[in-house]
Amino acid sequence: MAIGRRPKRTLVRLAVLIVASIVIFKFVLLPIRVTGISMEPTFHDGAVNFINRLAYVRGQPLRGDVVGIRFSPDANGAFHFLLLKRVVGLPGETISFVGGHVCVNGTPQEEPYLKLPSYWNVPEKTLGPEDYYFVGDNRTMPPNLHEHGIASRSQIVGRVLLKGKE
Amino acid sequence: MKLIVRLILLAGLLALGVWAWGFFFPTPQKIIEKRLVKLARLASFSSKDGNIKRLADTERISLLLARNIQVVVDLPGGRETMFDNREELLQALLAARPVVKDLVVQFTDIGVVVNQDRQNATALLTVKAKIGVEPDWVVEELRFTFKNTNDDWLITRLETVKPLR
Repeated sequence: MAIGRRPKRTLVRLAVLIVASIVIFKFVLLPIRVTGISMEPTFHDGAVNFINRLAYVRGQPLRGDVVGIRFSPDANGAFHFLLLKRVVGLPGETISFVGGHVCVNGTPQEEPYLKLPSYWNVPEKTLGPEDYYFVGDNRTMPPNLHEHGIASRSQIVGRVLLKGKE
Repeated sequence: MKLIVRLILLAGLLALGVWAWGFFFPTPQKIIEKRLVKLARLASFSSKDGNIKRLADTERISLLLARNIQVVVDLPGGRETMFDNREELLQALLAARPVVKDLVVQFTDIGVVVNQDRQNATALLTVKAKIGVEPDWVVEELRFTFKNTNDDWLITRLETVKPLR
């Protein structure tokens, strides 16, 4: 049996590897599996990715970031599910949709990731000092059938690691 | 060695004692969590279930609900559904079973907060449901409000919590 000439060293290395894997995949890189079509074609249903939980330790979410958002407003609770959405609105801004495109303070935004047709018209919403606006890349369905809207900074778990087809 | 064995036995006894205390004297949080897990199990059904089982499950569900329970939930497809009392809700559940045929309901990430008066409590959880032959799971966040009525924690309100407002 090939355990090496120094089994003690091998076992120590194995233990370190196991502990490091647990720490990394529990506290740093959260493995996720995408379910649903709301982020098509950027992320496909069934795709595997990671959420980088340290992405915003030093900075703040930026417009265009794809992030994982808790379902529950309770920032300390355990979770098995996340929403995967793109940040389109930053704190203090007024967000609306006109002809399928997001408008920030009334100004339509360039959205190179928007590959599928959309005709959304959604009235303005003003974001609070800790609020962000999130929406998926697939806006082919009516807005009331797509999970989009405002959540606070504390609900953001992290930023998706592997960029999709943008 | 004998000392180590004794210490291990002592630790084991302590662990058993803690477990027994939790089993025979559960906290309100534990009681409510158990009720919610039971509710999810009773709410699930299969087309193979007989009528007697369906009626029995519905009767058991009614024992978990307050008479004047209020329900405001979003169903798949964006429809909001409201019920004002237990009988209305149970009638809807019985009517839904022949139509839906199969339903699997699971509650996860249950967080229970009991008020200081220990008479009211709120539970936030994520519900995962598979309806009929649909391959995808429906995932929603739900808030349950409980009231302690004669040492019985009954559900007085159930509502969908939208993660994005």
